[in-house]
Amino acid sequence: MDGDSSTTDASQLGITGEYMASGHYVLQPQDDDGEENMNDHEDGGTKENYREQDIYLPIANVARIMKNAVPQTGKIAKDAKECVQECVSEFISFITSEASERCHQEKRKTINGEDILFAMSTLGFDMYVDPLKLYLQKFREAMKGEKGIAGVAVGESLGEDLTEDSFTNQLPTGIITDGQQQNVMVYTTSYQQIPTVQQIQFS
Amino acid sequence: MAQTNPGKDSQASEAKKLISLPTSRVRLIMKSSPDVSSINQDALFLTTKATELFVQHLALTSFNNGSGREANSLDYSDLAKTAEETDTFHFLTDILPKKILARDYLESLEQLQDEDTDF
Repeated sequence: MDGDSSTTDASQLGITGEYMASGHYVLQPQDDDGEENMNDHEDGGTKENYREQDIYLPIANVARIMKNAVPQTGKIAKDAKECVQECVSEFISFITSEASERCHQEKRKTINGEDILFAMSTLGFDMYVDPLKLYLQKFREAMKGEKGIAGVAVGESLGEDLTEDSFTNQLPTGIITDGQQQNVMVYTTSYQQIPTVQQIQFS
Repeated sequence: MAQTNPGKDSQASEAKKLISLPTSRVRLIMKSSPDVSSINQDALFLTTKATELFVQHLALTSFNNGSGREANSLDYSDLAKTAEETDTFHFLTDILPKKILARDYLESLEQLQDEDTDF
């Protein structure tokens, strides 16, 4: 069945009401598998190519977050879960391309936290920004003892020369030495020093 | 040298508790955008966390905003309606077109033809 949006002209069809409000619609198969998007109208954006890859976050995780967000007795249809899954990928791409653009404008290659927050603000998600900043702070605190964070002035070579005796618990070596934290990337950035950080003692 | 210090391990798990979505998958989706070369750790964390907030936001708004077809539930049409009516979620309208059943569409067409023949 052709989901051609050219038939959405209300004056041609003489149809009023909710179906025409959105300006375009798709035909839904009788058996309602819910997730099939038959709307193939191209908007000309390059993003269309990347959407074909269909990378989604796991539906179980998405569904769990949804479930916790709505009232406990509420029900969520299966096609709603699948749909939100797709919306999520769209959201991530939406934010990322905005952040990426800003990054390029400033001649940088790596998208950083500021770019993301700025993109949120620009795209109408500024209500997320403050909570996100708080979460980021918690995240940094939780991670600051981890390998790979260069928040204190310890070079890589020092990390190998110094013995265990001269360290306190929290030693960032600047080297990822085991696979414990698979998503940690080594990078340097200027952290604000959090007062409660245990200082490294060099004897 | 790997320091297997219990203090450090609990810090790692503390950090992991902050998010409930897989960052590796989030990174994959981010990388599928054109011209994205690298993403720093903060950016990845923020995006992942923002995505959680987004899911909550979208789900709850749609749930409350529902088409009225069924109270206390969330289905596809609630989401489509929300995308249509809420500015923040307007970017989703392309992937959330409103659906109509084929038979309803055909019925409408028939009605239209009937009307045409009534002079």
